[in-house]
Amino acid sequence: MQRDFPRHLDSLTPLYEFAEEILAANDIAEGMRFPIHLAMEELFVNMVKYNPGVSTEIQVTVTPNGSNGVRVSLIDDGGVEFDVTATRPVDINAPLEERKPGGLGIHLIQNLVDTLEYEYQQGRGKVIFTKGSRNEDV
Amino acid sequence: MFEIEYGNDGAVLCRGRLDAAQCEKAEGFLGGLEGANTLDFTALEYISSAGLGILLKTQKRLVAGGAGLRIINVNNHIYDVFRYSGFHAIFDIEAKE
Repeated sequence: MQRDFPRHLDSLTPLYEFAEEILAANDIAEGMRFPIHLAMEELFVNMVKYNPGVSTEIQVTVTPNGSNGVRVSLIDDGGVEFDVTATRPVDINAPLEERKPGGLGIHLIQNLVDTLEYEYQQGRGKVIFTKGSRNEDV
Repeated sequence: MFEIEYGNDGAVLCRGRLDAAQCEKAEGFLGGLEGANTLDFTALEYISSAGLGILLKTQKRLVAGGAGLRIINVNNHIYDVFRYSGFHAIFDIEAKE
C-alpha cells in the first residue's frame, strides 16, 4: 500500500497508523513492528529536517515481504542527497559528559533493519528497507 | 499520543509514543525536573532517537547537579534501543519484569 504524507512532523501519527494497519492486517509479529516503525520515523524525520525548503509530499510504501516480513520504501522528491547506508561514526561507549543529542537515528536504523538501500537520481532520493521475512522475531 | 505527568509515588509517568512530534511536550516537562528523579516507562510503548535526545539532555543537566534519572519498567523494545545507543551505560535502567 502506498500513501503520500505532508512533509511535517504532524505526519508521524498518520504514518504510524498507516503502517500499523498494514502490519496488523498481515499478522506481522508484534516484536517486528517496533523496529519497522522506528526506522520509518527516523527516515521520515530526516527527510523533513534536512529539506526545510521543500514542499513535496513524501511517498511511503509498505509491502508484505515473504512470511512475517515487510518491505518499506520512502521517496523524497526534491530533497538533498543523504545516503542513509553510509557509515557514520557514533561512539555508543562515550561517557555521559562527552555525549551530545543527535546522530543516533541512522545508527539505530542500520542496526534494526535487515537490509537498507539508498539511491539518488535527479533530485529524487529513495530509501528501501526490509525487516523480517524469515519468521524471525526482531 | 504521549502523556507525561507525576504519579502518586512521585515518579514521572510516561505514556504512549515518544516520537519526534512529541518532544516539545517531553522537553517542557523534563526540563523542569530538579535533583534525582524516576521515570516510570510502564506505559511507554515507543521511543525514537528524538526522544533519546531529550533524555540525554535531561540526564546531562541533572548529573551535572549531582543527581540523575532512574528509568524503570522499560519494555524490551525500548531497552533494545537503549542498548544499541549505549544508554544502558549512562542511565540507571530497570527493565520491565
